[in-house]
Amino acid sequence: MQLKKINENLEKEFAGRVSASLEDNIIHVTGELDSWDDVIKACTMASERYSKTHVVNDIRFTGAEIPETRVPSLNDKALDGKQVDVLVIGGGITGVTVLRELSKWNLKLLLVDKEADLAYHGSGRNDGQVHCGYDLSKGNLKHEYVLKGNAMYDKVCSELGIPFKRVGQYGGTLSDSRLAIKLFCFVKKHFHGIKDMEYLSAKRLYEIDPNLNPGLKFGTLNSSVGVVSPYELTIAYGENAIMNGAEISLNTYVKDMEVFDGVINKVMTNRGDIYPKVVINAAGVFAEDVAKMAEDRFFSIHPRRGTNSITDKKTGKYVKGVTSVKYHDPNAPKNTKGGGIIHTIHDNLLLGPDAVETYEKENFETRQESINVVFNKQEKACDKIKQSDIITYFTGVRAPTFEEDFILERGRAVKNIVHLAGIQSPGLTAAPAFAIDMAELTVNILKETMEVTENTSFNPVRKPIPCLKDMPLAERDRMIKENPDYGIIVCRCEEISKGEIIDALKSPLTVPTVDGVKKRVRPGMGRCQGGFCMPQVIKIISETMGIPEAEVLKGNTEAFISFGKTKGGEIDA
Amino acid sequence: MLKYDVTVIGGGPSGLSAALSADRANAKTLLIEREASLGGILKQCIHDGFGLLRFGEKLSGPEYVYRDIKAVYETDIDVSLLTFVTKTEKTDDGFILHLVNRDGVTSVFTKTIVLCTGCRERTAKQVKIHGTRPAGVFTAGQAQNLVNLHGLMVTKKCVILGSGDIGLIMARRLTLEGAEVMGVYEIKSEPSGLSRNIAQCLNDFDIPLHLSTTVKRVYGHDRLEAVEVAKVDEKMNIIPGTEEIIPCDALILSVGLIPENEIAEDLGVTLDRFTKGPHTDNSFMTDVEGIFAAGNCLHVNDLVDYVSENGALAGKAAAEYVKKERKYAKITIDRTLGYIVPQEIDLTTDLSKVEMYFRSFSTVKNAVLEIKIDGNPFMEKKYMVVRPPEMEKLVLDLSSAGLTENSVISFGIVKKEGDING
Ligand SMILES: Cc1cc2nc3c(=O)[nH]c(=O)nc-3n(C[C@H](O)[C@H](O)[C@H](O)COP(=O)(O)OP(=O)(O)OC[C@H]3O[C@@H](n4cnc5c(N)ncnc54)[C@H](O)[C@@H]3O)c2cc1C
Ligand SMILES: Cc1cc2nc3c(=O)[nH]c(=O)nc-3n(C[C@H](O)[C@H](O)[C@H](O)COP(=O)(O)OP(=O)(O)OC[C@H]3O[C@@H](n4cnc5c(N)ncnc54)[C@H](O)[C@@H]3O)c2cc1C
Repeated sequence: MQLKKINENLEKEFAGRVSASLEDNIIHVTGELDSWDDVIKACTMASERYSKTHVVNDIRFTGAEIPETRVPSLNDKALDGKQVDVLVIGGGITGVTVLRELSKWNLKLLLVDKEADLAYHGSGRNDGQVHCGYDLSKGNLKHEYVLKGNAMYDKVCSELGIPFKRVGQYGGTLSDSRLAIKLFCFVKKHFHGIKDMEYLSAKRLYEIDPNLNPGLKFGTLNSSVGVVSPYELTIAYGENAIMNGAEISLNTYVKDMEVFDGVINKVMTNRGDIYPKVVINAAGVFAEDVAKMAEDRFFSIHPRRGTNSITDKKTGKYVKGVTSVKYHDPNAPKNTKGGGIIHTIHDNLLLGPDAVETYEKENFETRQESINVVFNKQEKACDKIKQSDIITYFTGVRAPTFEEDFILERGRAVKNIVHLAGIQSPGLTAAPAFAIDMAELTVNILKETMEVTENTSFNPVRKPIPCLKDMPLAERDRMIKENPDYGIIVCRCEEISKGEIIDALKSPLTVPTVDGVKKRVRPGMGRCQGGFCMPQVIKIISETMGIPEAEVLKGNTEAFISFGKTKGGEIDA
Repeated sequence: MLKYDVTVIGGGPSGLSAALSADRANAKTLLIEREASLGGILKQCIHDGFGLLRFGEKLSGPEYVYRDIKAVYETDIDVSLLTFVTKTEKTDDGFILHLVNRDGVTSVFTKTIVLCTGCRERTAKQVKIHGTRPAGVFTAGQAQNLVNLHGLMVTKKCVILGSGDIGLIMARRLTLEGAEVMGVYEIKSEPSGLSRNIAQCLNDFDIPLHLSTTVKRVYGHDRLEAVEVAKVDEKMNIIPGTEEIIPCDALILSVGLIPENEIAEDLGVTLDRFTKGPHTDNSFMTDVEGIFAAGNCLHVNDLVDYVSENGALAGKAAAEYVKKERKYAKITIDRTLGYIVPQEIDLTTDLSKVEMYFRSFSTVKNAVLEIKIDGNPFMEKKYMVVRPPEMEKLVLDLSSAGLTENSVISFGIVKKEGDING
């Protein structure tokens, strides 16, 4: 679209309050608006889907104060003066997949994340669905890598010891137009490369899942769709990278950079200054902020919140795979897509997410409205699942650009940065694939100034923490005889033993918090949500790590659980 | 494989009583407990008030339960601690239980099972509390455990949601430990704890009780910083404009207990939709022959004395269990009752002393419990007042009631006629 046309449109809609300008192949939108929805509207009007000429949002938003980035309270010099070949900023799936790919080379690698654990942002707050890409058309990065990534999942998950299952995605429709659905399937399969795209008759749909509501006319099936635990996968990737020589530093916030002549010389953190040869920007919803620090801001991220509900495992039987119902609701408010119903890898159901634009990048609050939107939509697919089955809910924030495609490229104004930005859905699916190409790009950049050799001792295999409840009884018996702690059940809902919790605390990336243990081996993920086991988990962390119980944290550096001992509490229980 | 007549799952007060009475009836008995010591939830209930009915004394939880623990160790009952029932199988003449403990995985055969697995607490998400997810949101039992068993001070300034007994007791406990309890908030228009606890735990310490008020959201990223409370209307919907933000560092939830019946469900036991515990007959046998239930997994009790009594009845019935043809009369309640236990009468048993437990659906002064058999009045019982928080116990003689297989015994509460003040 021409700049002139964009400005005409903006003028019409906003009466001179915003305008666009083009400079260095970047569209800057400037002005002042007091509604965030208007900010999104203006930038969207200036943008073109999948274009490489990005919109940068320079509109002054006066409607509310945009909160400052949350930073860890820690301040030390642990990393000061450190020289590395590659510094990865961001410990989500994007950062760790690239880190692991890079660990196939003999390089000094460091990944930093500002949170107390990996997968605290988008990568720990999504649907865990390995998509097939049927909602994408050809000719963009999302489409390219969702197909490649999906195909890699069996191998990657078996190497990393992470459960993965292709449960299939199927859905029915209330519409009458059989031809339209058939045509859609034909086009997807033969022109968009979605090889598993299939038309489903109502009969087959109900054969696959008899619990779907009656009345669905026909639908579609994609049998390559899978489910995975996204935070377990992120942690596993990180651990495998560590096993192969990479370093990960948590509670480490990149606050600024020193850039000279198009080259980043120094990266400043709360734990000292780091000197990298190449920087990888995998900062999710903060990718724009990192690009700005690097003086290479050529895109903007507009955060989009989504809330999911998780229901009791007892409801798992109602939906076997991934499903949703397609129907046309003329009254549906904008931006309230209601996602789907997903049978998770741990046999709960997950419902959602919705989609709400927000100026808050890390507000993970949930709201009842979101839950209602999702349930109102999903009960059209399967009305057996009730809000009273919910055991928990959570919010994640997506990180799209206004062009709604991934950005996977070397810096434009800065030579030694690689941006992996705009990694919205299907980012989890795509990451294993784009990480390979981005690691190659990074190695090529390094090769401009140094020699890079292959890490011949690279080991792709990560041994998982054993999951005793899923073992045959004889094997479980043998494991317990070797280590009696595997016989002490701490979490009664998920049947997790003390031994598994200690294993989690002795893994390559120890995160000795209640949430850290929960993400790795699941105590507290069940229907009682830690009601019984949390005090015991605190005790095991305290004993294993040699720290007082009063110092055990829930998660982040300020998330303390207690204020020390009670009056009589010095006499330790 | 070891063989037992009775296996009791859960070593709280109901399980201890069940095991003791099964042993007294000469059954070879196994008592399984998941934790490192017997006593169940009473281990952490260090306040007094236990045992008034049973012992005529005011004991603390540990004192109360110690009497039964001591008695158990004086018998031949096999006690298996730190042991978890991982899988169950039904056989022709009983059950095989697969147990996990420090020694490995073992299997035992048992003719009968008494489920005494207690209950769990409802969580913040189950009562639709939204907002962030900081540290500092505790269930009351969890806070009680951390304070009483771990000696950890969980708050300096807190709000308690729910006026259930555990919440009330924690309000007092935390005050004694030096915390400021900003108030107890209850969504219903009347408190859900025992009157004596309102008096002794709140009034005596000047802790305000806010009725028809709930917590809507929590604030704070890492540690809780505030909660938002709001008034609700009769339908328990939030009244817009009544929201108020209360700065505090913890939210303690006492919003209900849910019977733990995962083992029962695995074995195909039907749960009652009112109690959320197994559907049982007057011997506390479930609809799966040979499986009995007692205590808080059967229905949530407010007094441990009843739990012990109920456990003893179930344990004895399990010991005396023989497979036979049975005939049942049905029990129904109308909407004036919250629930009733049992839900069926086994006509082949002694019907001269049938124990029943019920709760009213709402508070009724000058109430009359009407019991009808096939629509015909059978008996009436008068109460000064019935309240949902206070469970009522009944002992009925149904031996001469002329019950037959298709009989329906119905229960309802009406207000005594002619009363205009209530
Ligand atoms: C509700 C929801 C559902 C989704 N469902 C799916 C799905 O089913 N399938 C799928 O394929 N995709 C899904 N996605 C998309 C997927 O979750 C994301 O694409 C993916 O997780 C993005 O990973 P990331 O590593 O790029 O970002 P993140 O996981 O957000 O990681 C970025 C990291 O950078 C760190 N960071 C940022 N700035 C700094 C700094 N200055 N210093 C130090 N550290 C910093 C942050 O702490 C964070 O950990 C979903 C997303 C959402 C929100
Ligand atoms: C926090 C709290 C405070 C209370 N305060 C009072 C009070 O002040 N006064 C009063 O009279 N009553 C009080 N009560 C009520 C009364 O104490 C309870 O009703 C009583 O403890 C219930 O006994 P129980 O045996 O059914 O369950 P519990 O005491 O809960 O015992 C159940 C036992 O079963 C074990 N178990 C569960 N599942 C398994 C399994 N799969 N395998 C092996 N073992 C298992 C558990 O570890 C536990 O030890 C309180 C209850 C609670 C929860």
